[in-house]
Amino acid sequence: MRNEVRALRTALGLSQGDLAHAVGVSRQTINSIETDRYTPSLPLAFALAGYFETTIEEVFHVDGEARGARA
Amino acid sequence: MSTVRHAVPARRWYRWATTGFSVVMALVFLVAGWVGIGPAAGIGMAAVMLVFAGGVELAARRSETVKGLLDRSDERITAMDLTATTFAGLVLITVILVAFVVEIVRGQDGMPYAWLGAVAGIAYLVAILVQRLRG
Repeated sequence: MRNEVRALRTALGLSQGDLAHAVGVSRQTINSIETDRYTPSLPLAFALAGYFETTIEEVFHVDGEARGARA
Repeated sequence: MSTVRHAVPARRWYRWATTGFSVVMALVFLVAGWVGIGPAAGIGMAAVMLVFAGGVELAARRSETVKGLLDRSDERITAMDLTATTFAGLVLITVILVAFVVEIVRGQDGMPYAWLGAVAGIAYLVAILVQRLRG
């Protein structure tokens, strides 16, 4: 599972700590998600997508799947 | 960017569960040690628990991991806690089984290890049953 969390976060000029505080998790967890070491639960994935005002599909992708494309 | 609900709602009572339990156990150890062994033993055992409680609180101010273990607000740290708890349980069960076998080989009745193993097994089955009923 890959994701666009780092790109979306940096585009908003946020630190990992800022995003972590906004969605109620630790900075370590945001770092682990961004580096693909942790796959978030569905509620957290929804919270992240909601924070960035986009959809889960735009934030998280199965490995090898292009953004917005079907495999 | 928007305001969103936190993925895991905070459960404030959790934040003080470990510290509170440690303080309660300090009082229990104080009385038990005082009555069973002597005042110095009771005070010493209580002091160990109070130092632990204080250490945990200090660590929580500096460590996200410790803070997450205490308030369970971070799903990743909670998952780490569950995995660590499972590992500790497996180690404990292994020790109980080995101790039970050793006691049997030595011609003993295997107590209290047989009881401890039975309690662990029943607790596991109850936990599975409860989760199954919850769906």
